[in-house]
Amino acid sequence: MTPTRRDLLIGGAAGLLATAAAGLPLAAKPFDAAAWREYADRFLRPEGRIVDTGNNGVSHSEGQGYGLLLAVAAGDRGAFDRMWGWTQRNLMIREDGLTAWRWQPEGGVSDRNNASDGDILIAWALLRAADQWKADAYRTAAVALLKALATAVLVEHAGMTVLLPGRDGFRKGDTLILNPSYWVFPALRAFAALPTSLLPNPERWRKLAESGLVLLAKGRFGTHQLPPDWLALDANGGVAVADGFRKQYGYDAVRVPLYLAMDGHRDPYYFRPFAMLATQSGGGPIPATVSLPGGTTTQVAASVGMMAVYRLACTLAASGTTVTVPPLGANEDYYSTTLAHLSALAAQTLGIAP
Amino acid sequence: MTGSRNRRFGTALVGLLVGFGLSPTAAEATSTTPGARALVPGVKVEVAPAPGSGPAATPNALDDSALRYYARIGDVERMEAEIARLRALDPGWEPPKDLFTPQAAGPGVDETPFWSLVSAGKFPEARAAIAEQRRQTPSWQPSAKLLQELDVAEGANRLRGASDTKRWQDVIDAAAAQPEAVACNRLDNAWRLAEAYAELKQLDRAFDRYKTIVSQCPKAKERRDTIFKASRYLSPEQVRELTTIGATANPVAGEDYTAVRTVEGELETGRLLEKLGNPKAGPLSTADLARAEQIIRDKQDADGAIALGWYFQRQKKHADAQRWFADANGWTPSDKAAEGLILALAALGKKAEAREAGAPWQGKSNRVDQALKSVTNPPRGSGSGGRGASGGGAPGQSELSAALARDDFAGCLAAIQRMLTHSRPTAALMQQRGWCLMELKRPTEAEAAFAEAQALAAREPAKANTPGKSSSQRSLSDRPLDTPASPAQENAYGQAVARLATGDVAGLARDLPRTNMTPTQKAEIRASLLATEAGRAMDDKRYGDVLRLLDARKELTPEPRNLSLLRGWALYNMRRLDEARALFKAIDDRLSTEESREAVSVTSMATYRY
Repeated sequence: MTPTRRDLLIGGAAGLLATAAAGLPLAAKPFDAAAWREYADRFLRPEGRIVDTGNNGVSHSEGQGYGLLLAVAAGDRGAFDRMWGWTQRNLMIREDGLTAWRWQPEGGVSDRNNASDGDILIAWALLRAADQWKADAYRTAAVALLKALATAVLVEHAGMTVLLPGRDGFRKGDTLILNPSYWVFPALRAFAALPTSLLPNPERWRKLAESGLVLLAKGRFGTHQLPPDWLALDANGGVAVADGFRKQYGYDAVRVPLYLAMDGHRDPYYFRPFAMLATQSGGGPIPATVSLPGGTTTQVAASVGMMAVYRLACTLAASGTTVTVPPLGANEDYYSTTLAHLSALAAQTLGIAP
Repeated sequence: MTGSRNRRFGTALVGLLVGFGLSPTAAEATSTTPGARALVPGVKVEVAPAPGSGPAATPNALDDSALRYYARIGDVERMEAEIARLRALDPGWEPPKDLFTPQAAGPGVDETPFWSLVSAGKFPEARAAIAEQRRQTPSWQPSAKLLQELDVAEGANRLRGASDTKRWQDVIDAAAAQPEAVACNRLDNAWRLAEAYAELKQLDRAFDRYKTIVSQCPKAKERRDTIFKASRYLSPEQVRELTTIGATANPVAGEDYTAVRTVEGELETGRLLEKLGNPKAGPLSTADLARAEQIIRDKQDADGAIALGWYFQRQKKHADAQRWFADANGWTPSDKAAEGLILALAALGKKAEAREAGAPWQGKSNRVDQALKSVTNPPRGSGSGGRGASGGGAPGQSELSAALARDDFAGCLAAIQRMLTHSRPTAALMQQRGWCLMELKRPTEAEAAFAEAQALAAREPAKANTPGKSSSQRSLSDRPLDTPASPAQENAYGQAVARLATGDVAGLARDLPRTNMTPTQKAEIRASLLATEAGRAMDDKRYGDVLRLLDARKELTPEPRNLSLLRGWALYNMRRLDEARALFKAIDDRLSTEESREAVSVTSMATYRY
């Protein structure tokens, strides 16, 4: 019911410790056409679905969204259309216009609930495709998805506009369970910029972005003041690490600094917690998860893609720490590879070395 | 019944309903000086980081004025479309590097909106607004002062949050990360840090923190309050050392440190008054007693006088008791003082005076009505200072009366048990059992006892159990409210009190209108219900409701100290700090306890924006 998607990753990244320790060079490669071809070869099936190799080969709305975004960035319209077609046929099976979040090779959709970040990534990719290829049909589809999202998962709570992680199952009394890493800031800004003739009340998306920054300032826990993967927001605006989930910073929340950077944010305040975690590791492997507020770390090291995010965060926090990002391994999984490419894109956007 | 609430109510800012406060003007203030826009992946625009470098010469011939316009007004979509259009015209064309650099030496960013948020305590909102401004204007740096203010305020919040949830090590970590957060101008946090060490049993470090405060913080009042705080954890020797340091170290001109010296004496007084009010604490020494009397008389402290009255009543020094109850009643008339006075006079055999003392409250206060029974019910053990109905002259009656006079409620149950081996239970006896069980905080059994009394009363001849029909009483009862309770009503009242104690508030509120009780009794139960509801509202942080419920209760009966404190904390949490502080101050002036001192100091701290 609740998409805790990184669970299966634990253990999968263990081999990276050796890679990181070997001291191989250096910064991640920029994202370019060659990088996209390699990505598509590894994770994109001919029918148009992105395979999460770290999670038993399932597909999900998030993966489709990332795939679509990378295809636009690489200018590969053929791949884009295959992914969009597959997404419509297989995931957009709900009456409310949202996307079912998980699909398994055996049996298809295995959880009809939506994952709001998946919907957001897809809508954003569609908008970008509409601009890039001058194709209004993509924009129309994006707007339909945004309207569905606004109805189902944008809610006013404690004086803020916030994002439910999925339509069902994230209200506990008057407390909401939120996922800070579902705030895909650059996407929210693109939505807010839509003219009212296309999207009624785009202002709500700007408010959502604002509330995201507020929640990231409120929701800081433990020694490093990291955001949790899952956050509880009470009716008075108070925040806590959510019960009922792993109380940690980890595979979800690592995307927080990535999205902020992609949106052009540079305030060191928002990057410092992640840079501190990297700095504390002293050049050794960075732990993949940190329990909150306790601070217990796992033996599992951050993947290459996560290291790329830390490198970005350290640069923006001006922490003085340089994170060495090993090259993507031959068997690098879908999530790590995606994070690595998005980090490269963010760095390129900000005009800093990837 | 409803509650001495010993815990502190949320002292952090948590109760505030913080509206989302990023003002549009903050975001739009710099629309004339737009900064770098991060583009979405794939659109490669290089951003010139140098501020104020002015427009760079365009190396090619394409007209980019529209592009610059879109960049300036922040219309990303159109800007991207324009970039695509220009690229189509010239595939070799690159967007200008200074697209987002302020084109003219525009005005600097006005920090006022951020400071407004900071001064409103909206630190996360301030952070968000600053980040957004930095995104729009990368060349802008917030002032060091603004960032320092935020860092310290957040550090202080973090420390308070950890302290409120008793995560003591986190308190210490937060202070280490942000030492400014525990400076003299944030005294409450400095106390919390010392408290964290004390709670972790690192008493030497706790002492060091307190010592730092009383030697470094200049205000005499603050040093004094610190010693009060420290007295909770430190030995008398350490407190004495702190007092000496606080009275002498680093004096500043214009501060009078004599009040620091007197702290030890006041602490002793507080302990004395506490001991006085505690029946289990035993008798005070002659010197202590004399001191307590002196202090109470000097302050005309009615609560203290009532405590003294009961102290003497327990010692069977009824004349002394009478004097103190009378003083209390003279300083601040109350049914509590009247109750004591009636019982003391009754014990002295001055029944007429006792009835007179009760007259103003008769029919209005169940407490007084109960006490008056000791002077109106004919069969009574002489000299009894006990409360409540008696069981008549059965064997064991004197033992029961003696137990009641001692406030010995276990003894009361034992006496009744013995009486029941000789005779059949009566309604009055069962009712008395109910009251004693209530005093022993066994409400479920009490409710059963009252129910049994109710059943017995229904079978007993009415006349034998109708109290207070003497001519003297009737002459006093000339007001409509002054209807004495029938035994049935008395039992119903007892059951209601017992149900209150078991927490059956909803059920009781539902049944109350149909219950056979006197208007006085109903009013008292209703007042208790309101107090219970106010306590629940407090737990749920519905502070407005707390005030509403307490106001409604105040219509029925005067507000006791514990509920006034509750009212104060509700005001505090609603940020009505001046009212909260004034109320706490009034309570503390009447009788200064650790609870009231803490309330005053926490509120004062908050008022000064810690």
